[in-house]
Amino acid sequence: MPSQTAPSISVDGLTKRFGDVVAVDDLSFTVEQGHVTGFLGRNGAGKTTTLRMLLGLVQPSEGSATIGGVPYVQLPHPTLTVGAVLDSTGFHPGRRARDHLRVLCAAAGLPAERADTVLEEVGLSQVGGRRVKGFSLGMRQRLGLAAALLGRPEVLVLDEPANGLDPEGVRWLRLFLRSYADQGNTVLVSSHLLAEVAQTVDDVVIIADGRLIIQSSLADLADQAQPGVSVRSPEATVLRDALVAAGTGAELRSPDTVVALETTSEAVGLIAAGAGVTVFEMTARHFDLEELFLALTADPKEAR
Amino acid sequence: MNQLVRAELLKMRTTRVFAATALAALAFIPLTIAVAVLTAGKPGGTPAFETHEGVRHVLSASSAGTVVVLLIGILLMAGEHRHGTATATFLVTPDRKRVVGAKLIAATIAGAAVAVVSSVLTLAIVIPWLAAKDVHVDLLGSDVVLVLLGGFVATCLYAPIGVGLATMIRNQTTAQGVALVWTLVVEGLVVSLVPTLGRWLPGGAATALTYAAVNDVKLLPAWAAGLLFAAYAFAFGAAGIALIQRRDIT
Repeated sequence: MPSQTAPSISVDGLTKRFGDVVAVDDLSFTVEQGHVTGFLGRNGAGKTTTLRMLLGLVQPSEGSATIGGVPYVQLPHPTLTVGAVLDSTGFHPGRRARDHLRVLCAAAGLPAERADTVLEEVGLSQVGGRRVKGFSLGMRQRLGLAAALLGRPEVLVLDEPANGLDPEGVRWLRLFLRSYADQGNTVLVSSHLLAEVAQTVDDVVIIADGRLIIQSSLADLADQAQPGVSVRSPEATVLRDALVAAGTGAELRSPDTVVALETTSEAVGLIAAGAGVTVFEMTARHFDLEELFLALTADPKEAR
Repeated sequence: MNQLVRAELLKMRTTRVFAATALAALAFIPLTIAVAVLTAGKPGGTPAFETHEGVRHVLSASSAGTVVVLLIGILLMAGEHRHGTATATFLVTPDRKRVVGAKLIAATIAGAAVAVVSSVLTLAIVIPWLAAKDVHVDLLGSDVVLVLLGGFVATCLYAPIGVGLATMIRNQTTAQGVALVWTLVVEGLVVSLVPTLGRWLPGGAATALTYAAVNDVKLLPAWAAGLLFAAYAFAFGAAGIALIQRRDIT
């Protein structure tokens, strides 16, 4: 049953090496109970490996991950505590959707009727009798979510659940996760697109190359992503100093480019005129979350 | 444990591939009987019906499908990796030992079901056919009981060997290929050419257990073969349980 005491998730010093490759590198973060946390990073950043370690499917090289203080494999009734959607390929193509769920019910000791209930919840009741090989990627994602919901868990862990969903499906998923969390449940959802989850998540955990870049609330992150003005000028340093002197946040992006944050073109133009600085070009820009995300997760080798 | 075994049996019942494989196992039986009957007592053929060995050899067709039962065990385990259902399976039951244990039991039950149908089918074909040749087989005589019992044990135990093998060779196609080449080619050659070694192999033990006659080859007595084959099944099952523990499910 949903409650205000849904378990939190804690990842502590988690490391996974595959031979010489370090997929996850001393990663630590927490997921607050009752929050939707976005687990973000580019493809190959180590998100899936981290989630599989959290769920006891992959053995960490070092470190640990717990749910409500307990490693997943030691949960007395894992299906009743955590529901997980890890990939859209985990189905026998020749098995009917409802049978797939019934098999899981049998293994988990849940009544077989739960299969029909969760098919209804994810909007697949019409096709429950069909074999999975005829399912689209979006239908498989929904079936995976249905399987995760069988035990009415208080924690949901989803790996790229929006892959393969059409825009309507993405919207449906967003509303579903929001209402799930609003009932006091904990949700950890991974994505390689911040924009995809920005409307859903409370918190973000951003990783790159297996390492934590930032853990923050989305609101704090959004504060860093304010609208600003980009100015090209032969006297960029002078303009930067003038802006700062006027109390406007400004920084040099290149020898001839200044970015002024949280301000308008008009305000920057007046300060430039007052300082007698020549301006070649001035662009009002929205430094949005996605841009910030890309900057945060940029491959350091590319940046240099 | 009970619910895990039921889940594994449900997995087999809800896809066609297991039923199709079991039917393939049964299809071997009439063919094997026909070959045995038609070659009995011929030069280079198998013993004549007038001997116990001859009757037992024809009846041993009841275990003709054992190799296919081996494939059922492989399907049950390797299919989880092939289709990615291992993820859901081990999420529901993180204690992997219990999952493999349930698969060993469920596969053995499936093997037993195939064995029972095989026995009935064999009797239904052999008894009237031999009667037509004026050879009368006592349904409760030692020939029938020993051969069918031995065939039952061999068929049941091949299934958990398949489960164990598939934990060692995760790729389903590779595992099935290795199983078929080993049982049909390698063991057949070793049993015929180097019987002193061959009779200690799983296939040699299974053959002895089923009383199938192999030309001029002295196999183990059925009781010893049964113990040896059970030891193989136990070893493969134990290896499967040990191997699955620390494996990464990706």
